Amino acid sequence: MAQATLTRSVAVRRQRGRRGESLTKVLFVLPAALAMAALFGYPVVKNVVMSLQDYSLRTFFTGQAPFVGLKNYAAMVSDQLFSQAMVNTALFTIGSIAFQFSIGLALALFFRRNFPLGGLLRSLLLLPWLLPLIVSSATWRSILEQDNGILNRTLTGLHLIDQPVPWLNSPSVALIAVIGVNIWIGIPFNVTLLYSGLSEIPDELYEAGQLDGATGRRAFVHITWPNLRAVAGVLLMLGVVYTIKVLDIILGLTGGGPANATQTLATQSYERSFVDFKFGEGAALSNLLIGLSFLFAIFYLRSTRRAVDE
Amino acid sequence: MTDSATRRAAYTVIGLLIVGVMLFPVYWMLNASLQPSGNTLTAGFLPLDPSFAGYRRALSEQGGNLVTSLIIATGTVVLSLAIAAPCAYALSQFRSRWVSIGLLAILISQMIPGIVIANALYTAYERIGLLNSIPGLIVANCSSALPFAILILRSFMLSLPPSLVEAARVDGAGLLRAFVAIVLPISRNSLITAGLFSFLFSWSDFLFALTLTTKGGVRPVTLGIYQYLGTQVQNWNAVMATAVLSAIPAVVLLVAAQKYIAAGAVGGAVK
Amino acid sequence: MRSKRPIAATASALALALALAACGANGNGNSGNGDGGGTSSGGAVTSLTVLDYYNNDPDKALVQKGLDACGTKLGISIQRETVPGDTLIQKVLQQASSKTLPDVLMLDNPDVQQIAATGALAPLNDLGLNADGVIQGMVDATSYQGKLYGLAPVTNTLALFYNKDMLAEAGVQPPKTWDELKAAAKKLTKPGRYGIAFNANATYEGSWQFLPAMWTNGGDETDLKSPQVAEALQLWVDLVQSGSASKSVINWTQGDAKDQFVAGKAAMMVNGPWQIPALQENPKVKWDVVTFPLNKPDQTPVAPLGGEAWTVPLNKDQAKQQKAADFVKCLNSDENELAWAKARFTLPTKTALLDQYAKDVPSMKAFAEQVKTARSRTGKLGDKWPDAAKVIYQAIQLALTGKASAQDAFKQASGG
Repeated sequence: MAQATLTRSVAVRRQRGRRGESLTKVLFVLPAALAMAALFGYPVVKNVVMSLQDYSLRTFFTGQAPFVGLKNYAAMVSDQLFSQAMVNTALFTIGSIAFQFSIGLALALFFRRNFPLGGLLRSLLLLPWLLPLIVSSATWRSILEQDNGILNRTLTGLHLIDQPVPWLNSPSVALIAVIGVNIWIGIPFNVTLLYSGLSEIPDELYEAGQLDGATGRRAFVHITWPNLRAVAGVLLMLGVVYTIKVLDIILGLTGGGPANATQTLATQSYERSFVDFKFGEGAALSNLLIGLSFLFAIFYLRSTRRAVDE
Repeated sequence: MTDSATRRAAYTVIGLLIVGVMLFPVYWMLNASLQPSGNTLTAGFLPLDPSFAGYRRALSEQGGNLVTSLIIATGTVVLSLAIAAPCAYALSQFRSRWVSIGLLAILISQMIPGIVIANALYTAYERIGLLNSIPGLIVANCSSALPFAILILRSFMLSLPPSLVEAARVDGAGLLRAFVAIVLPISRNSLITAGLFSFLFSWSDFLFALTLTTKGGVRPVTLGIYQYLGTQVQNWNAVMATAVLSAIPAVVLLVAAQKYIAAGAVGGAVK
Repeated sequence: MRSKRPIAATASALALALALAACGANGNGNSGNGDGGGTSSGGAVTSLTVLDYYNNDPDKALVQKGLDACGTKLGISIQRETVPGDTLIQKVLQQASSKTLPDVLMLDNPDVQQIAATGALAPLNDLGLNADGVIQGMVDATSYQGKLYGLAPVTNTLALFYNKDMLAEAGVQPPKTWDELKAAAKKLTKPGRYGIAFNANATYEGSWQFLPAMWTNGGDETDLKSPQVAEALQLWVDLVQSGSASKSVINWTQGDAKDQFVAGKAAMMVNGPWQIPALQENPKVKWDVVTFPLNKPDQTPVAPLGGEAWTVPLNKDQAKQQKAADFVKCLNSDENELAWAKARFTLPTKTALLDQYAKDVPSMKAFAEQVKTARSRTGKLGDKWPDAAKVIYQAIQLALTGKASAQDAFKQASGG
């Protein structure tokens, strides 16, 4: 369809010449391409090289980093925390995304209703984003504190729990708590984008749908969701990509503990590089992260292409 | 009439509740900023004995840093939108097999951990003299804002009917002119959304501020906050007070920007 | 056709970025001299650049005073940069790779050997400095392969703080043995208050807090699977399991422990003298300090040495390097050691100064005693210490969360 119109346009405007046209089109993309190459191409290349080197503290001073082949990757896989970090990363990512997205969608639908103060309240939802992560994690740490934290105090006060919950102190609960905080951080992002997506759906569609008897849930299934799918797809994709590399919030809340219960690939990568100063192994881990995201991206692109082809 | 008014009032109450729960941690931070000893661990529900020591300190020491943050965040918005908008348009409307490759490249860029980028930029900046500079930080912050802006703008521009530009071009406008005169105004919503997020990304950046400045001078407020977390002494009330102060200008901006996001702009324009 | 161009552009931009990077990696530049510059080779040295992590008042200002005094004495101006503590090493690495290390560099004492091992630091013996009269633990920490690479004017260590009113009210004497410590902690615990607070988080800080118990009991970082080490860990486990210490200790920092103590939510705490200024801000809390309790009465308390050393990064500009060494020497004069120790609640590192100091500053008496027998973390393992420290904090986490017994925790944590 787009192809057809484009061909038509080219035919109409043939007198101006094809070359000028394609040059203009290149100009549309060129600045972004340059920026992307400088901001991302170079770091990735550097990181891949680093993962094949014995890049240590000494390297910074002498500039020498002997080539060691895949040794860093072997060390990464044979580490005793590797499988746990993989599982935690998966749980963290899936848990965060599922709830961020569904809560975000529910809130976006809610705020689409027209009511006093709606716009103001919706923009206030973005507030958590403005807090530096170092502040959010310190605040959450105090809220989740087992003995005096306000959450446990409130829950016991309401007689919802008998014993204080060891939110950050028990290996079996800490990951859930960390995921919870990450959900809180991600909700504003999801609400705002889904809200914008909802706003783009023309009201006429709903008016037409109403005539066909599509209201309530049916309107959602037949009108809202199909029209939201592009935005939702991008959002979920970005969600995976952003969540899989989350570092600050975990470091700030638990530092990967207790007893490594919240170690993910990202925290392990950070630890290898900046605690153990084994930068080669750290780079190998971040390459694994990039690789995993990459698989998701391929998956996403294939499924959207299929959707377009339909 | 009354019924719908009641219902709308009920929605407002529900909305207030939702926002109240979501913003409780923000309140808790405000509360902590007013605690006398800056003791975040044992604060009561209300700051009954408020102390403004943290604010006094933050105000006298962080004012300049707030301005720096504002300049950097605004610069990031302008630069990233200027680069992203044409690219997003191309990726949404030009038909080419390179589009999916471009998209993949953008997605990959989002996968790269910030630390990897920061370390590489440090080396490059050092050679071209961008360390300790506001432009340097603006460019660095574009690494989080730009790909995101492209993706967001593209997902909205996909719904633009090609006939829109076609019409203008039949009237004799060039591709670039049609883009500026027609596509950009229609995309106002998505531009504001992308701009908002660019602003927020940049505003909350800590990593680049830390790695790409080697001495005082250029110091965004996130870095200023860190100054209160000493090696052995931590001034939590000053940290929290700075966070509260730093949120104020940004909140004003957010509320102002939200006003411009009107519904159904695209649908209206096609008619 | 039209779509090939962006790719070509991308490729060329990539090449450009790579070229830039290559320049960065190979850039030579003058070793040492930052852009503060104050001299050219051969000329008189007029200024020195200094990097440290005392980024927070009052320490920042107090250290500045000492730096300025030595600057005046040597007739030079000081260009100082301070960074937050946990970002110092990253900054040092960046500056090392771009050859812009400062003339004088402050390092936390357990980091000195690691950085010295990279060849970045100048041996101070060759520049006319020595560590005569300095407590052995600190000399161990700042020496690498027999050469001295840094000098620490002041040091600190850990001891047991207690709330005088709470102990008096409960009729408890400050504990001298582990049994007394456990009994006291239990007796002092009541709703809303724990007997003791300490830090057992999953960082080097958690390992550091464990060392008084481990070393005093004869445990050693070269043999972490020994029964002595397990006994020490059992002490931490007992305190937490009996409810005398919060389960949250596995996430607390030393600052958190102090906050608990100040808020009256802990009757005792393991902590260092740097917390004293914060304690003084809360005059309602009456406190005192004793040395860390012993497992058996015939043991001597062995605590770890804290504190920062000043080093001189290698510099091609010989005159500047010598001036930097002179500057470090000045910072380590008796006069400055005492001045900094008194103002900042730290301890002088020269044995000869310790007794007089303890008399002048009574609140530091317990710490002064601890320091005489204290050890440095890197004394035995050198730049391998971080590996051991990591095993220690992981073992603590395993034991305190009940994932392993104190006996098995070290075996598990070291991957055996």
